[in-house]
Amino acid sequence: MLEQLVKALAELEEDRVLEIVRQELDCGTEPLSILQACQRGMTEVGSRFESNEYFVSDLMMSGEIFKQVGVLLEEGLKSASQVSSGTVVIGTVAGDIHDIGKDIVVNMLKSANLDVTDLGVDVPPARFVTALQETNASVLGMSGLLTLAFDSMKETVVAIEEAGLRGRVHIMIGGGPVNGDVCEVVGADSWGADAQAAVRLAKTWLDVGAQT
Amino acid sequence: MQALYEERRRRIEKTIALEPVDRVPAAFMGMAFAPRYMGMSIADFCAVPENRTEVTLAAMDKLGADVWDGINKLPCGKIVPQLTAAWLSHIATPGKELPADSLWQVQETEVMKPEDYDVILDKGWPAFLEGYYPRVIDVDELADMKAWVRDNIAHVVQRCRDHAYVPIAYGGTATPFEYLCGGRSMGRFFIDLYRDKDRVRAVMDHMLPYMIREGIQAAELSGIPAIWVGGWRSASSLLSPQIWDEFVFPYFLELVNALADKGIVSVLHLDQDWTRDLERFKELPAKMCLLNTDGMTDLRKAKEILGDHMAIMGDVPAALLYAGTPDDIFKYVHDLIRDVGPSGLILCAGCDAPINARPENMEAMAAATREYGQVMAGP
Ligand code: B12
Repeated sequence: MLEQLVKALAELEEDRVLEIVRQELDCGTEPLSILQACQRGMTEVGSRFESNEYFVSDLMMSGEIFKQVGVLLEEGLKSASQVSSGTVVIGTVAGDIHDIGKDIVVNMLKSANLDVTDLGVDVPPARFVTALQETNASVLGMSGLLTLAFDSMKETVVAIEEAGLRGRVHIMIGGGPVNGDVCEVVGADSWGADAQAAVRLAKTWLDVGAQT
Repeated sequence: MQALYEERRRRIEKTIALEPVDRVPAAFMGMAFAPRYMGMSIADFCAVPENRTEVTLAAMDKLGADVWDGINKLPCGKIVPQLTAAWLSHIATPGKELPADSLWQVQETEVMKPEDYDVILDKGWPAFLEGYYPRVIDVDELADMKAWVRDNIAHVVQRCRDHAYVPIAYGGTATPFEYLCGGRSMGRFFIDLYRDKDRVRAVMDHMLPYMIREGIQAAELSGIPAIWVGGWRSASSLLSPQIWDEFVFPYFLELVNALADKGIVSVLHLDQDWTRDLERFKELPAKMCLLNTDGMTDLRKAKEILGDHMAIMGDVPAALLYAGTPDDIFKYVHDLIRDVGPSGLILCAGCDAPINARPENMEAMAAATREYGQVMAGP
């Protein structure tokens, strides 16, 4: 049955996914196993995206389904929390409110079993710094689609340096127009063109295996 | 001036008709860049419609009056109500809700609810809009903008003529997809396309004739036989092929055909990457479109596929205008003209030069076009 769940999620069959999740819960299947099946489904969605079989709308739909599964499993997962492979702080930078891509990245990071602290949109440099201090995270993701956002990214990198955190934090950036040149101007460690790249970077830096 | 204007107008016309030209025409596009470059606050740019016209012309003059053949869109009327009407979202205005020198900001949230689909089908699109506008704008502001445009558009066209800049298009329309996506918000609307397909399709079919009418009226009002047809959020890269084939292209086709029947050229203003579906654009009427892209669609492919079908306007990317150096810009323009020109190309910033484009990069874009546009097209 869990194999069918993986497949239903990969095929974006919303009703079917929710139906199977409910059935599994009723049968007493561990919520954690259900979650892991869904994570595998999301990984499949990610690879279909990379091979140009799926597009942004498909990622958004998969995120929508994954979120609902999360709600169904919430209760059961409280007790049996999965050991996460690491923490990523992420947000859309000051002056920019685009969050569709960022939300996809968040979903993919979560489904790759990472703890994600999502600061939302229009996040000022100081909030990034505070969150990095509070969570002790060693990976930061900044998203931005406006050219104006690049200035904010640069300021955030400076603020992180000034707070003395630069040495322990890997910084990745992304969002529509971001490329290698922008990465250099901003002073980030790397950049990613899509959510899979974000997962790959985070995993490399956190030194976790390719598969969860 | 009159002779120069005519020369430039012919050059642009020939380009759209895919005929050989003496040099690659250049078009200016940098809505918020213009006031920033000229030291005008964005609040003043938004508040006084004359400012928009004059500061745009002044910025073009300053960048190089001998460079620009045209301007991508007639700078006519207040920008904020115009964008509200196009995107059906509230737009925060600098000087009112935002600091005087910040960019206007679309506040996209789910203003249009799922129930509204039924209202559109019940009452019809115009009646729905009337009830909808107050949710996103002070309706007097919208009415004032329209009245101002009606009364002043001939003068604005004349002001462009005075500077010998050809307005390539005025006003615009879009597929029903774009309006609904703006109203519903992209996040919600994309999910509707999976969950609520049939209802969305019925609403779109109902809306399309109004979108066609909107475009024809814009062209009649300005006397400029070209309008923008927006593709802001319906790019191939954003949508699965099934969705694109069903909810995007058929509407483009019908819209562009209806405009072409009236002799109106569609400036296909396409954000993001449309490369996957360029083949389909062959179905659009030949030499009646301008493919106006933002740097993400592969223009080499576009040239290969559509080179004998429609002209291209683009596409120096916003990120390059911000983060690149003048040398980068020279190279970009050089390669673009080499690969995509010299005929069938209008050189332009991708989408819209951003507010914080580096002035020296904009100047480089102008200078590079002057240099390479001429040399490569040859006398
Ligand atoms: C939807 C949209 C909006 C919506 C945003 C809704 C929302 N909740 O996000 C609304 C209407 C609110 C909006 C507003 C504006 N927008 Co807008 N918007 C878009 C649009 C159409 C799509 C963006 C999008 O969601 N793409 C899909 C996602 C999935 O792609 P993505 O974000 O790039 O994310 C992917 C990757 O980049 C990567 N990724 C993303 N983040 C990260 C982070 C890391 C760390 C990594 C590794 C990877 C990564 O993974 C994602 C999944 O694969 C684009 C045009 C276009 N078609 O691209 C314009 C666009 C981005 N907008 C633009 C502009 C100018 C604006 C406004 C300033 C307009 C205005 N004057 O009001 C305002 C900005 C307000 C503000 N302060 O932010 C310009 C930006 C130009 C520029 N260079 O500055 C664009 C390019 C349109 C254009 N050509 O003019 N916009």
